[in-house]
Amino acid sequence: MKKKILMVLAAFVAAVTFAGCGSSGGGTINVVSREDGSGTRGAFIELTGVQEEKNGQKVDKTTDKATISNSTEVVMSTVKGDTNAIGYVSLGSLSKDVKAVKVEGVAPSVKTVTDGSYKIQRPFNIMTKGEASGVAQDFINYIMSSDGQNVIEKNGYVKVSTNGAYSGTKPSGKITVGGSSSVTPVMEKLKEAYEKVNPNATIEVQESDSTTGVSNAAKGTLDIGMASRDLQGSETSEGLKVTKIAKDGIAVIVNKDNSVDNLTLKQIKNIYTGKTTSWSDVK
Amino acid sequence: MKYNEKNSKEQLHGKGEAAALKAIVWIAGIATMAVLIFLILYILINGLPHIKPSLFSIHYNSQNVSLFPAMINTLTMVGLSILFAGPIGIFSAVYLAEYAKRGSKFVAFIRLTSETLTGIPSIIFGIFGMLMFVDACHMGYSMLAGALTLALMILPVIMRATEEALHAVPDSYREGSFGLGAGKLRTIFKIVLPAAAPGILAGVILGIGRVVGETAALIYTAGTVAQIPKNVMGSGRTLAVHMYSLWTEGMNVDQSYATAVILLVVVIVLNFISDAIAKRVNKVNE
Amino acid sequence: MNKSKHPGQAKEKAMQVVFAACACIAIIAVLLICIFLFANGLPGMAKIGFGKFLSGTIWRPANNLYGILPMIVASIEVTIGALIIGIVIGVLTAVFLAFFCPEPLYKVIKPGINLLAGIPSVVYGFFGLQVIVPMIRNSAGGAGLSMLAACIILGIMILPTIITMSETALRAVPTSYYEGALGLGSTHERSVFRVVVPAAKSGIFAGIILGVGRAIGETMAVIMIAGNQAVMPHSLFAGVRTMTANIVLEMGYATDLHRQALIATAVVLFVFILIINICFSILKNKGDKQ
Repeated sequence: MKKKILMVLAAFVAAVTFAGCGSSGGGTINVVSREDGSGTRGAFIELTGVQEEKNGQKVDKTTDKATISNSTEVVMSTVKGDTNAIGYVSLGSLSKDVKAVKVEGVAPSVKTVTDGSYKIQRPFNIMTKGEASGVAQDFINYIMSSDGQNVIEKNGYVKVSTNGAYSGTKPSGKITVGGSSSVTPVMEKLKEAYEKVNPNATIEVQESDSTTGVSNAAKGTLDIGMASRDLQGSETSEGLKVTKIAKDGIAVIVNKDNSVDNLTLKQIKNIYTGKTTSWSDVK
Repeated sequence: MKYNEKNSKEQLHGKGEAAALKAIVWIAGIATMAVLIFLILYILINGLPHIKPSLFSIHYNSQNVSLFPAMINTLTMVGLSILFAGPIGIFSAVYLAEYAKRGSKFVAFIRLTSETLTGIPSIIFGIFGMLMFVDACHMGYSMLAGALTLALMILPVIMRATEEALHAVPDSYREGSFGLGAGKLRTIFKIVLPAAAPGILAGVILGIGRVVGETAALIYTAGTVAQIPKNVMGSGRTLAVHMYSLWTEGMNVDQSYATAVILLVVVIVLNFISDAIAKRVNKVNE
Repeated sequence: MNKSKHPGQAKEKAMQVVFAACACIAIIAVLLICIFLFANGLPGMAKIGFGKFLSGTIWRPANNLYGILPMIVASIEVTIGALIIGIVIGVLTAVFLAFFCPEPLYKVIKPGINLLAGIPSVVYGFFGLQVIVPMIRNSAGGAGLSMLAACIILGIMILPTIITMSETALRAVPTSYYEGALGLGSTHERSVFRVVVPAAKSGIFAGIILGVGRAIGETMAVIMIAGNQAVMPHSLFAGVRTMTANIVLEMGYATDLHRQALIATAVVLFVFILIINICFSILKNKGDKQ
């Protein structure tokens, strides 16, 4: 019994050392991506060209060596701790622990996203089944008013509307908003601000993801759906009324000790499709 | 190493071997302890500095990231799932221990299924709860759907603990009660169950522990709303789900650790209570 | 006398039916779980093709490619890795607790192990991501989010199960075995390892099988630390995606066939669990008969 255990143990240690030697070659890029279907990933692969159109079918060419995570935090903490990692996160969740690289010479910021010079950006959309009414419509009016747009800007996202101040009818009722986890944080702020000016209304925010948000809005389960991307395919024919409430940049992030400051869209594409595998190739 | 080796050689060999074995065993024990201490320190160091009064505000908003609603939801979830699983689990155990013939096929089958239930991972319960309660029964993401799912999860825990507790009640109790003219039902409710109460309670607390720590099964059944729902048909997240959601969003990681500390305290308290009960049971039995 | 006895008897009968009905709920629950999972998972599996689904190596839902072989292999390998760690440390710790641990220390360790069992799996994930993953990254290179990280964390997570079950089994061995060995001139250590441990074999195995179930079914911790690449695992330091991680990662987005494929993944996992459970009950029955 003991001998067996010892042998297994020895084999294990040997395997560890052996595999360890195999994979440690400094400077290999560790690609971190989000999970399939995430709005952030959808927008990222479309804008950087990682997604290619082939015979009318969209093919996501993300390298299968990429670490996949369904959490912004895992992406951030991986890049924070790994000098060779690259990842991407929403501009609003960018922290000082990581370095956002310039894309085509432009650093991501509210200003560069607004004027369009920062290329990797996406819309935050909300949608209702047909015309909204009651609290839902009033809430949308609030979001698009200067009050709502200020909340959006204060949280690091980019405003899209130049409407005047909110002057609502303050209807009462309860609505459910749900969908994209990227939009959820700012939607919570909007909800809190709105409930202050209209105490008659109750808004429940359900966090899930863009696809669920769209489909549940179409089914009528949600009063307002949230998506961090534009509607695609069959979604456009569901009779949904879409309102763009904000724009968000997607920051490409690397470790603070990484000397790379600037990447072109082409370089990013090559990194994410696995063509470029070493940092020395992009420096 | 073989038994036909010479005795003297065996003894010499034995001494070295004994020391080696002793060392290995001690190392394993110390490793387990080290992991435990490391884990607890890790949670405390990351979480304790972030426990602030604002975390306990009545209403959650993105400013205070309050865990109070999640705490209330956890209590509701525990209450509801025990409400479902408690009576059913205890009654099943009563049937198995007091009515069924020992060794019958039916009993063996129930045992087998309850053991199967114990072994099913929580993600499977989550998917099942989503398919059955949320979709097929049209409950939507709700506390009720979550509680029903968790009730199935902790049912075997309560069943097993109760059955063991019932078996531990000496037959003389039952005979005494019958002798005084009480019926079987009366005997069970007035004599046997009260005598088995501490053991049953220990099972219930084990079940509570599982409910408190559960995440995977709840995400797909109770949803992730950070508020206290108005009624059981509303969605709400428990402390464990709250901790996971905060972490995943990546903006409130500190508060997530703070929640972990609170959960750790809850688990310690639950373990302490069940230990205390177990000790009492042992004393009574002695 | 008769009058008062009749309602009483009816009540007795009625309650007996209620008790029996409650006992059936466990059976009904397992049946329902089977029915709902299979009814929702099998059609999808059939549409993809059973062979293609189980032996396909490419998982790309956007292009209707659903092969879960990499996930099945990953789940099995991660479980084996976790077992190596869990069994070595777990069984030895159980021996330590049962025969070597000084009484005052036992009073501290035992509740500690119960605590280890009670810590929510998400917390193990945090711990893995912030402590184990950087350790692997710094010593071996790569991203650190890897099969090894998953093995280590799962190995720790199944420790309480293995320790508790093994300790119970060891303590259940009649002391006459141990004393007999001592009487024949064996040392304390030798008696324990040569006589008591082999006698407790089936109980220890039962604990190990329970550990297998827990490791293969664990979700929240694994998803944070395993890297989740849906490719065939090729190194301990490469990321892998287990079946459980596959379900949680994509369930939120999935519609139509994709969703069915994920539920089918759950079905495959469920079948694995059933097989493990059957092994467990066979072993347990064997142990009981001994």
